[in-house]
Formats: sequence, structure tokens, C-alpha cells
Amino acid sequence: MTVDLNLVGAKGAIAEAAEGKWGMTIDQDICTGCQACVAACAMENNLSFVGEEDAGYGRTQHWIRIERFWEGEYPEVKATPFQPMLCQQCGHAPCEPVCPVFATPHSPAEDLNLQVYNRCVGTRYCANNCPYQVRSFNWRDYHTIPERGNMVNGTLVFPLHNQLNPDVTVRRRGIMEKCTFCIQRIHKAQDQAKSEGREVEDGEFTTACAQACPATAITFGRMDHPESLVSQLAHQQRGVKHLEELNTLPRVTYLKEG
Amino acid sequence: MPDATLLAVFEDIDPAADAIEKLHEMGITDENINVISGVPIAHKMLGRPHPWTNVSRLSMGGAIAGFVFGIFLNFGTPYLYNVQVGGQYFTPIPPGLIITFEMTMLFAMLATFLGVFLDSYFPNYRPLEYVGEVSDGKIAVFFKCAQGEVKKITDALKKLGAETVKPAEAQQL
Amino acid sequence: MTATSKYFSGAQKAHDAHHEEEDPKQYLMYDPKPRGEMNAMVMESMMTTSWKFWLVLGILSFLVATCFFYGWGYMINEGLYVAGVMRPSYWGIFLVNTVFWIGISHAGTFISAILRVFKAEFRRPFTRAAELMTTFGLIQAGASIFMHLGRVWLAYWLFPIPNARQLWPNFHSPLMWDLLAITTYVLGSTMYLFLPLIPDLAMARDRSTGWRKVFYRILALGFRGTEGEWRHLTTAMNFFAFAIIPVMFSVHTIVSWDFAMAMRPGWSSTVFGPYFVLGALHSGMGAVAVVLFIMRTTMKHMDYFIRKEHFNALGKLMLIVTFAYSYFFFNDYIVQWYGGDKWTDTLLHWLEEGPMAWMFYQLVLFNIVIPPLMLWSKKIRETPWLLAAIGLLINVGMYWERYLIIPVMLTINRMPFTWKLYQPGIEIFLTVGTFSMFLLFYMIASRLIPLVPVWEVQEGQMTHTLRKVGKTHVPTVSEFE
Repeated sequence: MTVDLNLVGAKGAIAEAAEGKWGMTIDQDICTGCQACVAACAMENNLSFVGEEDAGYGRTQHWIRIERFWEGEYPEVKATPFQPMLCQQCGHAPCEPVCPVFATPHSPAEDLNLQVYNRCVGTRYCANNCPYQVRSFNWRDYHTIPERGNMVNGTLVFPLHNQLNPDVTVRRRGIMEKCTFCIQRIHKAQDQAKSEGREVEDGEFTTACAQACPATAITFGRMDHPESLVSQLAHQQRGVKHLEELNTLPRVTYLKEG
Repeated sequence: MPDATLLAVFEDIDPAADAIEKLHEMGITDENINVISGVPIAHKMLGRPHPWTNVSRLSMGGAIAGFVFGIFLNFGTPYLYNVQVGGQYFTPIPPGLIITFEMTMLFAMLATFLGVFLDSYFPNYRPLEYVGEVSDGKIAVFFKCAQGEVKKITDALKKLGAETVKPAEAQQL
Repeated sequence: MTATSKYFSGAQKAHDAHHEEEDPKQYLMYDPKPRGEMNAMVMESMMTTSWKFWLVLGILSFLVATCFFYGWGYMINEGLYVAGVMRPSYWGIFLVNTVFWIGISHAGTFISAILRVFKAEFRRPFTRAAELMTTFGLIQAGASIFMHLGRVWLAYWLFPIPNARQLWPNFHSPLMWDLLAITTYVLGSTMYLFLPLIPDLAMARDRSTGWRKVFYRILALGFRGTEGEWRHLTTAMNFFAFAIIPVMFSVHTIVSWDFAMAMRPGWSSTVFGPYFVLGALHSGMGAVAVVLFIMRTTMKHMDYFIRKEHFNALGKLMLIVTFAYSYFFFNDYIVQWYGGDKWTDTLLHWLEEGPMAWMFYQLVLFNIVIPPLMLWSKKIRETPWLLAAIGLLINVGMYWERYLIIPVMLTINRMPFTWKLYQPGIEIFLTVGTFSMFLLFYMIASRLIPLVPVWEVQEGQMTHTLRKVGKTHVPTVSEFE
């Protein structure tokens, strides 16, 4: 029996059933902090390079970031496990009800938190309400600033545009964005599966970050298929969900303290 | 005999009230009397009938219309434009209360404002009977009477303290 | 024996002097002038300008043109990176300005609506001056909201207009409630400003020539003052006075819910509704004191209409509001401090000891410490410049309070990796632009519409008499309704 969480509306009452469809596990004990996932995500999703100054001021356009902490005072400093933080695709996403123009609705089909670029007017309430702080805003048209181009015969030419992924929209200034669980890959796989008359199998494709991770710390797949790898990993004893007490029902399980 | 319209200007409420009583005695009915003043004067002070107004009924009507509109906005339009967001019921009640309240107040206020316009026939740029002294705080009583009575009434009013009594001409304000 | 009696007789003399019979004529309501003369005074005050007026007008116009229009245009073209907003403080000075201007606008409604409902006669000469603050303040609040949008050219998507694209705004969002509430409030208070203005426009129409006469004739709508017109007008005004009070409370409560509904430490507080409303009244009353002081010193004949008694009454109101505001302030902070939730704890410690601690202590000093220390004294309340100075300090304190709540509290969130302190960018220029525009509108309005509702003043003077009771004359107020 499928339960439509949005229509039932009982906050948290059926949390145990709300595993979602697409999910991810991140093994913090294996993560080396190499940031390959960050680079891969940036390449896959046409993230712009904001430059050193703006990035230092908190305007990074990273849909996934590696958080580094340490414990203790110098010289007895202990490093803690790296923490890749990305959009948790919450079942009860706090970012969704606060957008005044419905630019971040919940997808009943994929059970993901969507971001509709052409609808966003840039109020940034969703970013304020995200407890994981994983949303990025396009503060400027970084793709077309003069620093990214070369002057050729009197016109500005942008060679980096050759690298853009044609499956993903390039966002203008004033638009909110966040990790989409590589929805373009999900849709490509679904189209392929539909043309073959079947459903998408777990393991047919994966997200850019999971694909790039050399330590296989990130696993992506169908959380609702109990035999999938991601589902089995998520139900391990090491599995925790960050900020669980906020009842956001995140789809990303972190494996730590093994 | 053709009716004449006269306009008498008084300094204060008491002489004006006496004058209106005198006009009643002389047979001029309330419908033929009109009072213009620079401040609102209670009808009882001048011995005038209770003035009607539709404004309060229009306010109530506006409030009801706003209430219905607010209910429709919150509980109706989501079914017309079906977009799901998480964390709340599809048509939640607490935001519905807020929206209904605001729309009720908005429509009530708009209806009241328009009610003033409708009831007073604003804007009224045609020539009207008026004297400038009214905005200086004087009270002007203008009334219709038979042509023959003009002299008698003028004298009576002047005795009661009217500053001027003259034919009322419709002037472009 | 003689020494003590000499001491006591000195004290007795001072006591007697203090309780000396006050001359009722010092009060505006007991010092009536013929209506014609008051009309002439108001008209003259409106129409005389000096070179100083034009100089200030020129400076303000320049500031509006550069800081407001050019600055905003530049920001729209370049993107929001020229402002100081970033992760985690996605909202910055624009929202601070919005809340500040809505706060200022509440004072107008308080004075014209709440004081009317409570039949406080001292409100009569300055209701319109206060109500103008409401309208112009709300314009600046609206401008600030639109400024903070990422794609402001698509702002019309926020409005529930049926369209062919199956698009509709989201009424779950506090920002949409904001939109409805502020629209209601702006329309309501403009209508409430206009209704009592009609008789004064008629008066101005009767007393002016040239372009002014055309202007007033059109706006006065042919008002004459017939019994019917007065009845419709007063019924509507009474309705508005009662109706706009809940709207006023709801507007700032809803604005506060932009923050309270969010899941941020420091923001998710249930007391934000009344806390913000009282904060709005606090800053608004202070702003009214400043505006009345400026009116009295710069405009002709205003010293007849706006007297020490009005500043005294305003000062008493400010004192009451200070206590109410302090109550909610402590309610908010003490409850959070006691609770011990680790993020709120970190936030509070950071507010008290971090880089913005100076702002926090100035806030407490200006909003909570200075007003009660000074406003208890009748002498201080009756000194216009002193009350205006206290009002100005209160406004600075309230601006700091909103600055602390919005960008500073956003810094401490549940993801410590993102913590970074907000630094304003172009917002400073745009803030200067909104303040200049507010003052500019006010200066232009002071030349175009009569700032004192003379008909209300005369109505008040008619109802105030001195009645002989026993051996003395007692001021009496009657009701003429």
C-alpha cells in the first residue's frame, strides 16, 4: 500500500515507513576527504566557479561539501571523520513549504525534493530554513563574468562553456539550487527503462559523486528495494541520520563510528 | 409659484438649531432643508432627522465577501493548481485562518471606502450649492421655500442670528 | 523649633508652587482660535518655503536618485553579490529595513486608530502627520522586500493572478501571508489616511488658487460637508479605526513569523509575534517624536498646534511601550538562556561576547535602560528636542535589534562548518536611499496636503469646555457623537 505522505499530513507519525525511493549512504569511516565527489558534482551539474574571494565569503556553489572538524587544542589535536554534506532530500523538507512560488515542491513520483530553476524568484527562504545549509544561491552570473573569458578579436569567448553538461540547465543569477540526486541521470535511466518496458533497476546508474568516489564511500540506489546495496548499508548498526531530531526524514544515511 | 432655494449662514450651533426650528414652524419640511457644516454636528443638536447611511451594511457585505474569498484562496485554489510540498497538509488550517482573516479585513475596508464614495456620490464635480465660509467653521442651512415667502423667512432668520441669507446658486467648487 | 519650621516652610512653598493652578489655555483644546484663523495658519504653513527647504529637498533628491534608483538598478543588473548576503546569512539588511519600516508604520496606526478608539483627545493635531509616516514607511518596506529578491523582475509571480501557465503562489509560505497582510495594511492605512483628509482638502480647495486649486478640487471629490457626507465619512472612519487595529497587530505578527516559522536557533521562538509588535510600537513612537519635533521647529505655526502637552502624552506612551517591550525582550532571551539547547546557548554566548556584542549592549541601553530612566520626568517629556533625541536613540536601538535578529543570528546554525559573519555591501547605500526617499516624500507631502486636520482640532475644541465646579473651573470633555 503506498502512503502519500503529503496528503496524509501527520508529521512524523509514519516516520518508520518513510524511507523514500532514492537514497544514499555515506561512509564517514572510509571517506578520505579527497573532494573528488565535489569536483565530479561540479562538472556534472554545471556549477560555476565563483572565485577565491567570493568562495571565502560564503558564496561557494558546492552542492556537496566536505566538512572538516577537529577536536582538542594544539598540539593535542585530533582529526574527526570527514563529513560530506549534501542535500538530504528530506521526506519532510523544511525548505518546501516556505517557498512562496512553489519553486521547491516534492515530487510524488521520484520522492525527491525538486528545485524548479525557472520558477525561483530568489527569496532565499528555503536556504534559511534548511537545517543542513546545503542550498546554494547564484549571486552573480559567474559563468559569463570577464574573468572566465578570453578576449578574442574584440569579443569575449568563454572556453569553459565547452565543458558544460547539456543535460543540465545553466542557471542565471538570482536562482536557488541544490543537489538533485543527479535527477538528469535518474530520468535518463528511467527513459531507457521505459523504452524497454520495465522499471529502473537499482545499480543501473549512479550519481556523479558516488561514481567519482575512489574510496566507494558514497552509495546510491533504490532505498525501497530491500535487496539493494544502499538499503542494506543504511540498515547497518553504524547508520545515523544527521539532525534526526528535527524530523526532516532525510534520505541520506551516514555510517560512522564503526 | 416657483420654488426658491435660499442659503443662510450661521456662526454657531445654537442659532442654527433655532433657525431650523423656525423653518419647521414656517412649514418647510425636513426634506427641503439641508445643512452643510465644517465639522460633523450630531443630528439631534440641530433637530434634524436621523441621517441614513449604507456604509455599515456595505462593510458587512465586504467582510463576508472577503471571508469567502479567503476560504477559497486557501482551501480551493490548491485543488485547482495541484503542487505538493512536504511537511504540511495539502490545505492546512492555520495558514487558512491567517489568509481568511486578512482577506476579510481587506475586503471590508475596501467596501467601506467605496461605500463612502457610493453613498456621497463622490466624485462630484458638477456645480453644487455651497459657500466657502463653511470650511471656515460656519454652518450653512439651505432650504427650498415658495417664492413669496422669501422676504418673511429672510427676516425671521436674520433676527435669529443668520450672518447672510441669500439665494443659493450652484457654483463650480 | 524655628530651624525646622523654616526648612519645612521652604519645602511647603516648593510644594505649593508645584501644585499651582495650571493655566488651561496652555492646552490646545482649551485655547481655541476661530476656524478661519486656524485654516489660514495651516495653509500658510503648507505654502511657505524657505531656501533651507529647497536645499534639503535637493540633497534628498540627489540621494534618492543615486543611492536608491542607481544603486538598485546596479544591483539588479549585476546580481546580489554586490550585497553582503551569503551562506549562512541569506537574509541581511534588506529584511532588517523591511521590518524596521513596517515598525515605523505601526506608530501611525497606533496614533490615528487606537487613540481614536480610546478617545484620547490629545491625538487630534498630529494624527495625519503620524498616518503619513505609515503610508511612506510601508512604501519603503515594500521597496526593501523587492530589493532582496534574486529575480525581482519576476516579482509578479508572488501575486495570485490566474494565468495560463498553471502557476499559483504557495499559501503555506509565511512570505505569502506577508504579501497579503502588507497589501491589506497598505491599502487600509492609505484609505484611512484619505478619508479624514477629504474635508481638509475641501478647505484647501476653498482657499487656494491656480494649480493648487485644481489639485485640491480633484482630490476633494466635491465634498461640501452635508449631513449625509459627514455621516458616511464618520461611519467609515469609525469602522476603519476599529478594523485597522487587528490588521496592524496581524501584519507585524505575520512579518515576525517569517523568522519564527523557520528552524533556526534564536529564530524559532514562540514569543516573536507580540515581541515584534511591541518593538514596532517602540520604534514607531520614537519616530513620531522625532517627526513632531522637526515639524514644530521647521514649519510655521506648528507651535500652536503641537504643544508640550502632546510631547508629554507621547512620552508617557513611550514609557508604557518601553516596559511592554522590555517584558517581551526578557521573555524571549531569558527563556532561551535557561533552556540550554546547545545551539541556542552558543548563539546567546556569541551575542554577548562575540564581535557584535557592542550592538547587543547598545540595544539594551537604548531600548530598555535609557527610556525609563528619562521618561519618568515630566520636565524631560515636555522638552521636545529631548524627547526627539530619546526617540532617535530608541530607533537606533531597534535597528540594532533587527540587525542582530536577522543577519547575526543566522550566523550560528546547526552546521558549524558554515558559520561566517555577515558584512554589509551595497545595502548601506540602499538603506540611505530608503531613508532619503521617506524624508523626501514627507517633505513633498508637507507642501501638498495640510498636515494638521483642522476640522478635527475644531471638533475637539468645541467639545472641551471649562465647567465651574465649586470654587474652580474644571476642564470637561463632552461627546458630540
